[in-house]
Amino acid sequence: MSRFFATGTDSESETSSEEEHVVRAPAPVYTFSDDEEETKRVVRSMKEKRYEELEGFIHSIRNHRKIKDFSSALASFEELQRAYTRASSVIQKEENGIAPRFFIRALVELEDWVTSAWNDRESRKAMSKGNSKALTSLRQKLRKYTKEFDSEIVKFRDNPDLPDDDEERKEEPSSDESDEEEKVKEKPKVRRSPEPQRRPAPQEDESSDSMDWGSSSSESSSSSDDETRGAATLRERFLKRATERDDDEEGDRRRARRERRDRVGKVSKKDQVDDGGEWETVRKGAATSDKPKMFAKDSDIDAALVVKKLGEVSAARGRKRTDRRAQLELLHELRTVAAQHNLGDALQLKLRAATVAALFDYNPKVSDAMKPEYWSRLVENVDHMVTILLAHEDMMLSESITEETEQLVTAPFQVRGSLLIALERLDDEFTKLLKECDPHSNEYVERLKDEVRVSALIDRVCQVVERDGTPQEICRAYLRKIDHLYYKFDPRAVKKDQPPSEETSIKKMEKFCKYIYANDESDRLRTRAILSHIYHHALHDNWFQARDLLLMSHLQENVQHSDPSTQILYNRTMANLGLCAFRRGNVKEAHGCLAELMMTGKPKELLAQGLLPQRQHERSKEQEKIEKQRQMPFHMHINLELLECVYLVSAMLIEIPYMAAHEFDARRRMISKTFYQNLRASERQALVGPPESMREHAVAAARAMRRGDWRACLNFIVNEKMNAKVWDLMVGADNVRAMLGRLIREESLRTYLFTYAHVYASLSLRSMADMFEMPRQRVHSLVSKMIINEELLASLDDPSECAILHRSEPTRMQALALQLADKVGNLVDSNERIFEKQGSFFQRGGAPRGEGRQRDRPREGWGRRQRNRRRDDDRTHED
Amino acid sequence: MSYSKFDLTFKIGQYLDRHLVFPLLEFLAAKETYDQSELLQAKLEILSKTNMIDYVIDIRKMLYPDEDTPEEIKSRRGVVLSQLQELQDAVEPVLRLMQRDDVMKTVETMRDPKTLINYLTTNKEFEFRIDMIDSMYRLAKYRYECGNYVESASYLYFCQLVMSPTEKNYLPVLWGKLASEILVQNWDGALDDLNKLREFIDNGAGGATATNMQALQQRTWLVHWSLFVFFNHAKGRDLIIETFLYRPLYLNAIQTMCPHILRYLATAVIINRSRRNALKDLVKVIQQEAYTYRDPITEFIEHLYVNFDFEAARRKLNQCQAVLSTDFFLIACLEEFVENARLMIFETFCRIHQVISIGMLAENLSMQPEEAECWIVNLIRNARLDAKIDSKLGHVVMGAQPLSPYQQLVERIDSLSVRSEALTSLVERKQKVRTDIRWGGQEF
Repeated sequence: MSRFFATGTDSESETSSEEEHVVRAPAPVYTFSDDEEETKRVVRSMKEKRYEELEGFIHSIRNHRKIKDFSSALASFEELQRAYTRASSVIQKEENGIAPRFFIRALVELEDWVTSAWNDRESRKAMSKGNSKALTSLRQKLRKYTKEFDSEIVKFRDNPDLPDDDEERKEEPSSDESDEEEKVKEKPKVRRSPEPQRRPAPQEDESSDSMDWGSSSSESSSSSDDETRGAATLRERFLKRATERDDDEEGDRRRARRERRDRVGKVSKKDQVDDGGEWETVRKGAATSDKPKMFAKDSDIDAALVVKKLGEVSAARGRKRTDRRAQLELLHELRTVAAQHNLGDALQLKLRAATVAALFDYNPKVSDAMKPEYWSRLVENVDHMVTILLAHEDMMLSESITEETEQLVTAPFQVRGSLLIALERLDDEFTKLLKECDPHSNEYVERLKDEVRVSALIDRVCQVVERDGTPQEICRAYLRKIDHLYYKFDPRAVKKDQPPSEETSIKKMEKFCKYIYANDESDRLRTRAILSHIYHHALHDNWFQARDLLLMSHLQENVQHSDPSTQILYNRTMANLGLCAFRRGNVKEAHGCLAELMMTGKPKELLAQGLLPQRQHERSKEQEKIEKQRQMPFHMHINLELLECVYLVSAMLIEIPYMAAHEFDARRRMISKTFYQNLRASERQALVGPPESMREHAVAAARAMRRGDWRACLNFIVNEKMNAKVWDLMVGADNVRAMLGRLIREESLRTYLFTYAHVYASLSLRSMADMFEMPRQRVHSLVSKMIINEELLASLDDPSECAILHRSEPTRMQALALQLADKVGNLVDSNERIFEKQGSFFQRGGAPRGEGRQRDRPREGWGRRQRNRRRDDDRTHED
Repeated sequence: MSYSKFDLTFKIGQYLDRHLVFPLLEFLAAKETYDQSELLQAKLEILSKTNMIDYVIDIRKMLYPDEDTPEEIKSRRGVVLSQLQELQDAVEPVLRLMQRDDVMKTVETMRDPKTLINYLTTNKEFEFRIDMIDSMYRLAKYRYECGNYVESASYLYFCQLVMSPTEKNYLPVLWGKLASEILVQNWDGALDDLNKLREFIDNGAGGATATNMQALQQRTWLVHWSLFVFFNHAKGRDLIIETFLYRPLYLNAIQTMCPHILRYLATAVIINRSRRNALKDLVKVIQQEAYTYRDPITEFIEHLYVNFDFEAARRKLNQCQAVLSTDFFLIACLEEFVENARLMIFETFCRIHQVISIGMLAENLSMQPEEAECWIVNLIRNARLDAKIDSKLGHVVMGAQPLSPYQQLVERIDSLSVRSEALTSLVERKQKVRTDIRWGGQEF
């Protein structure tokens, strides 16, 4: 609002400024955002902005109506339509989708005018060509458009005299200032029921005024010398602001008077309206920005007085025109005063709590992070609160204590407030701060150093909460702690020879999580605790514990019903579980864990590690904002390349032998679609160059494995490039590489047997062991397993240590014949199904005989296939 | 004695009643695995909370031969006896009633506890009062603590008849009855009680299993107590597989609370030749729990059916014998176990191999070659094995013929033509019916 004064329209009265301005220059709504930035920016809600825009267009339509300029009216109407669609989301939210009344009124008026103009044939003939054309199209467009608001228009026509925003807005300039102020505060309510609302506002002001006057009358008489000092600081402030206006003309006395009122906390509206001169000064320094004296010098300062002051200061909280910085300073001053007069720690605590609240208020936008310095102050303040609380056994800080039951002077102290909420918000703000800065900059590192402070603070808060919190509160505090613990790798925990007394993070997690499991009443905390616990176990290679916890919690079944952030945590947990399974050599499980994440092709989004541009539909602003809020800070990210590599390698180890075994199988299923596509894409290429990226390496390895060339496969998977990119990122990289070597050999052997068994009459186990550089025992075991599972039609000849292959692997011809048989079988099946479906149709024609048997069979087969698939799915998760 | 690390007495003991631990300790004493005096000490400790004073005195004498029995114990004996008398007096009418066969017969025929109580209270001659049920229960418990299991069992039987399942003492009565039956080695009765108890727990009646945690605990106990029954009752071998492996609730309890039970389950599956198909499920469970529990028996199965490592399986089989012979529950089926385990090894062998040298086979089965040959001959003669012995080379040659692709193909398409024909005829018939109707419509 102060922008007006910057442009020098000082004769204007403040209240009328905003609306009048908009009315006069309707189109360039956005243009003045520039001067807004120069001066102190007033943040208006989205709703206000949109409504102003709408009103602007309505007003211009009205103007065009007066001069009967149809073509301009048409243009404005189109603008209005567009503006309304823009505002529709706000309307959806604020008004439940009901179009605001002033908008309907405008539509009705416009309609009336257009119909009358249309009916007046005489003048229509007299119209210019352009105008009459515009009238026609306006009429059509309007008709079409009003259809959408039919019901509302009918309602409006029934009762057109009800006051609406528009009227209210017209009245506003004449109404006094306090009204405006109240409106700002309670805008949503005003829109719906302006009449009853207007009544209490002045009353409230009056009453508070009179009360304030009463309380401060004693000071005002003796405050002459404070006033001069206050004026001096005020002047300094003005000078610093470098405003062009010279306000020295203002009489000291007058200023003092205003100041005194400011100090009282409320600006008396009547005075304001009366002497317009004072207005400007208020604007200049922003309503409560000046630093008033707290108390008279010789007055007795005691706790009650300070609390009263505090009440006054915080009463201004959340108002549009309160200067938040000034509030902070006031609170700070109050604190020093309280400290000087030794008013006790309880009061200090209360003041600190108020400061914390004010600091949170300082940042008007919820979605944006607060400034680091303010955050830092926040930490200090909360820290002080904790110190005070810890120092006094008999001090309680709780939300359940009301203002009336507070006990600040005598022990046991009772203070209203919540440490936990402060902590939670502080932590959230910290995450926001991290997300705001570039993860690759030094700034991020600097910010991240604060994590230690936050963790320490959480620890201390836990102590307090453990002392006098309810179990649920303790759970919440613990969960915060877990949140800061679960993604960190503790090298002590994986050491074999750790002393049992050592507090590893695993033990800590165990302690906190167990408490939450036992005491949590809301399922959400427990779910999050379990997920974090699994994550932590997986991080430290405790595969079995992690797996059992996951299976026993039955989270897989119902996680899709939980909130997005829990689902993200679930995804992160599954990713880590997959990595853990892989490190432990459980390839199948690793694949099962990761498949869900990788199948969609957007693990980045699923893990909340960045937004992908969407092709089909644009995100709305809000949605983008929400999604941005969900993102993980960078230091908690999981390496996506590592994830993908692990996934591809496990898919390779499973898929390639499977492909080899089922080469002629008509009903072969793909185990991993993503991997398959990659492989296909590479096979389609005429010329394959040496692999560059991780993905190419994986595919090249897969192709080598298909030939049974384990050495090449291993070289593609484990080499310097891949080491640097992937394997070295793992804990126990050497173990992982050894495991890979072993698995690749085994699976290559299996693939080799599947692929080339038909060209052998017998295979010596010994030579196979040599070929694949495996112990003979292992080869024997593998071959035996294949024979038992009937994957390899052979039997061992013990004395010569050979596998004698039975000539029953189908030849190409036979395989094709088998395939054909399968397909024909499918055909018969589907015939029967069709027949069954039409059965009812045939039945109408009579002759239901002999059908029962036929109907049962295909259905049974169908059910079995489905059941099998489900079992397969289960297996991938569970074993 | 190196197998004491596989001794489960300690683990199992945690889930048993103190009285049920005695047989285990007696067994250990007989085996001389542990120091005798330690065992006696343990017994004494267990007895300290029971009322088996005479037994305490005996053991004390064995432990400290040169010490006199302390006065305290002697006086306690008197107290116990008088208390017993007191309790017995309180339920005198019931005891008298239980002596009369005719009454008991009518009592047994009544299914519903309510009508039963009605019958007992209205009949003046019995002098029965409702509160006697409680006293009866207390007496039974006291008797049990004194080691008079037979009486205890019969008293509890009566309690069970008159109590409705919703009463709070019903669950303890069931447990007590089971324990008494086990201790008097009445396995049929014990099995009945076991089933009753299991149903009771599974149905969660009477608030006995209010929370999942309690239910889990109750099931864990039941699993342990039932070992006594399963390994002594004739039908137990089938039942143990049914209960432990195929009831998800119990399998769950085993997996979460007491994976060591897998030893008994594995043994039961091995010795039960008719339940070979259970092996697959068992292998799964064993693999899943391998990280929390392994002993020679589960490892034997793992080697044989997961790794196909016959050499290791053979080694494990040797260990198994030692473990089995020191296990209270399993010692009875040692012979059977060895025989069946051998058979399993051999069966697997045959499925994989075409030609086996008898020498190697004998080695794998830990037998003499002649003995092994004899064994195989027996198998062949009983038509359980399609094989021939090449005595010149000392080989066994399997006779299995693999399925040729031609046969596969024939099998696959065999039914197709029949099915298609049936389908066509059906369609034709329907078509005919429809055209018939149309014809009819035209005619009239």
